[in-house]
Amino acid sequence: MGMSRINSTKTSPSYSIIRHAKDKLGQIAVWTLLATLLVFLAIKLFQSSLGPVRSGTPPDFTLTTFSGQTYTLSELKGQIVIVNFWASWCDPCKAEAADLEMIWHDYKDRDVLLLGIDYADTKDEALTYLSTWNITYPNGPDVGTRISQSYRIRGVPETYIVTQDGLLAKSFIGPTSYENIAVILEALLDK
Amino acid sequence: MIVNLGYTALLLALICSLYSIVSARVYINTNRYQWVDSARNAVIAVWFLLTLACLSLVYLLTNEHFEIEYVASVSSRAMPWYLKATALWGGQAGSLLFWSWLMSTYTGVVMLRDWSKERDMQPYIITASMLTLAFFISLNAFVENPFNVLWIDSFGNITASVMRPNANLMFTPKDGAGLNPLLRHPGMIIHPPMLYLGFVGFIIPYSFAIGALAVGRTDSVWIRATRRWTLVAWLFLSLGLLLGGRWAYDVLGWGGYWGWDPVEIAALMPWLTGTAFLHSVIIQEKHGMFKRWNMILIILTYALVIFGTFLTRSGVLSSVHAFAQSSIGPLFFMFITITFTISLVLLFRGWETLGSSKTLTSWLSREGLFLLNNLLFMGILVACFWGVIYPLISEIITGQKVTVGPPFYERTTGPQFAALLFLMGIVPLVAWRITTVNRLGHLIWKPTIISLVVPIISMISGVMNFAALLSLWLASLVFCVTIYEFYRGAIARSKSSGNNFYVALWLLISRNRRRYGGYIVHLGVVFMAVGIIGVEMFQTETQGTLALGERMHLGEYSLVYRDLTEFSANDGRVVTRATLTVYKNNKAIGKLEPQRDYYKDSMQRMTIPDIYSTLEGDLYVLLIDWKPVGLQQATFKVYLNPLINWIWIGGFGFILGTLVATWPDQRDRDILTNNKSFAQPL
Repeated sequence: MGMSRINSTKTSPSYSIIRHAKDKLGQIAVWTLLATLLVFLAIKLFQSSLGPVRSGTPPDFTLTTFSGQTYTLSELKGQIVIVNFWASWCDPCKAEAADLEMIWHDYKDRDVLLLGIDYADTKDEALTYLSTWNITYPNGPDVGTRISQSYRIRGVPETYIVTQDGLLAKSFIGPTSYENIAVILEALLDK
Repeated sequence: MIVNLGYTALLLALICSLYSIVSARVYINTNRYQWVDSARNAVIAVWFLLTLACLSLVYLLTNEHFEIEYVASVSSRAMPWYLKATALWGGQAGSLLFWSWLMSTYTGVVMLRDWSKERDMQPYIITASMLTLAFFISLNAFVENPFNVLWIDSFGNITASVMRPNANLMFTPKDGAGLNPLLRHPGMIIHPPMLYLGFVGFIIPYSFAIGALAVGRTDSVWIRATRRWTLVAWLFLSLGLLLGGRWAYDVLGWGGYWGWDPVEIAALMPWLTGTAFLHSVIIQEKHGMFKRWNMILIILTYALVIFGTFLTRSGVLSSVHAFAQSSIGPLFFMFITITFTISLVLLFRGWETLGSSKTLTSWLSREGLFLLNNLLFMGILVACFWGVIYPLISEIITGQKVTVGPPFYERTTGPQFAALLFLMGIVPLVAWRITTVNRLGHLIWKPTIISLVVPIISMISGVMNFAALLSLWLASLVFCVTIYEFYRGAIARSKSSGNNFYVALWLLISRNRRRYGGYIVHLGVVFMAVGIIGVEMFQTETQGTLALGERMHLGEYSLVYRDLTEFSANDGRVVTRATLTVYKNNKAIGKLEPQRDYYKDSMQRMTIPDIYSTLEGDLYVLLIDWKPVGLQQATFKVYLNPLINWIWIGGFGFILGTLVATWPDQRDRDILTNNKSFAQPL
């Protein structure tokens, strides 16, 4: 009661400031909301303008392979990890399929892991593709295309090489070859 | 040559639109009519120039000018001519040009009206609309230029620009990349234009609102003047959304028509505020209330159009609808910041004068329930907005991308849509200012009893899902009340005038076009609701691998796998097509040919369903896999989508209702030309 009486005296200068602020409260709230929204949009715009992941720590993911094993990128430190995005319907992927399998054959005993991530595909066709090309390294579907989204891939194939320390060493947009990958692997293994 | 013509026209259009803004400003300062007339002429000239630019691009597309970057990226020799022409809106640059052209059509036509009563607002209206248009044209002229030519230097590097760089030669690829296969569908020819016409149409009521705010007019002239424009924009937006649903159903091959994709929601949001606006302006016209609210709604609608366009075109969202990575983001962001800020400043400046001395007498009155209807639309909007923006926010704060799925939207918006249906059922029977419960009960008991027939029959035939029964009842309530309104009005008119019932009904509708047009749209909504309830609650599906001659069952249908053929079509596709015979209750009723297309140029594949369609529902069959060797086995996915066609039928209700409501009316013309009758309520 006492408080409300003080507040209702119009002569009090502090009251008029409060009243003024109260009148403007709605406006202030609207402006704050708009500013917040714009800040978020600006950050997001900046992030998406960076394009595909090129350096630093690559996005973490957990892949469950067609045969049921799981691999989590962040738990694979100490070995080099090659991440290859592919799909059975993708013709350029076929161009690099034999090379990738050869990389796996030559480097799997030297602490190199090759993971195939099957993008937007059906299981039957993917398995047919794997057996056609005699692929033996671990492969699994990208359920809900979550991994592809986090890597902001532009299409398939794309290949990312992650160092023993979990940093991105190199990325290939489009098909790559045995030589391209081997050069990077040798350099990393020599360190 | 044509490319220079097109680009020159584009630049001149930009200059003309900027000139119209300057000229309007000079009129405001000097009050000399020739300046505003000159601004008007410039606005009309922009339309002619953009028409020329669009025609040039269409010419380049249809004549296989692959030296143009845009032509090479969206068309190819194998495409039929009509797809080449409609590739105008198949990519970012062209669709921006097309967008600007549509907007200039609206702004150009609105300049042709009689401005004598809104002369004070006209320069501001020109400024608001032409600023927006100039922004979109400049995106084309400076960032996403559809007239860029490909050049090659002696090292084989290819660049795209208007002017030839030093020591470069023109580069003409042998063939273009072709249009994205997802867009090679008849629905794609009309879905984007409809949607864009809806989007850009709201520029007219928005500009008038800004004009009214700028000159401090608090009457409803801006609303009366733009009523039809708003209705037309709303109809196009509704049809755009519907056609998009139909396209998804026919092309995307997941058995659905609406996936709560962020871009779909971006198009739905202005529709929600636009629909709320269409209802609340009636209150302002009749009772002078809700003036602030209407301003907020139209500014919000415009803001959501721009915001949605930004989300889709800047690369912020990833979706089937999103355009590829583009550099228009930063410019777009600046434009959003500027226009939203100006709109808000004007709104707050006029806030006090827009206040109304009238207050709601009762919630149980037509204006009270209209307000409730608006609040429900806002509730749905908030849920949608949150669903779109939350993944962005959570990704920035936590680094984890969280996607908000259909269940979120269904749970949050479903009950609110049901409440809207309920309001649609009772509001026509509620009077202005105040109604007693008794009066309402007296009017509503008959239609209510009749409407119960639908849920009771459904229950007898085995539907036990409470939500389904409730929503079916709500739909049938709206239907019965609306028909009852037509009946009651016609009977009353035939008693007082002595006309027979049908003549009285005709006169009733033609003398109250806006009201009864609205009711016809409501009937369209009822049909749509029935379709949505059918698919969402009663869809069944099955999947199976069949050898030739084998049979699979779904509901009362069964399918026998007859044949699988593979052939090359002359537009660069490899088609694998299965043939199945459809049986209903063991009687052969037709054949279905679902297929899988593989586009060699873009290495994309598409699963095209085949559909056996009846009013009861669709049998929707997809060929999802087959054994390449011998083609003996194939896997099919089959959906039974009950009542789905009522969704599209509802769309015709939208068209018919809006036509009735917007049809030119002799009385309207009298009011517009005769000042004295202006004071009368419409």
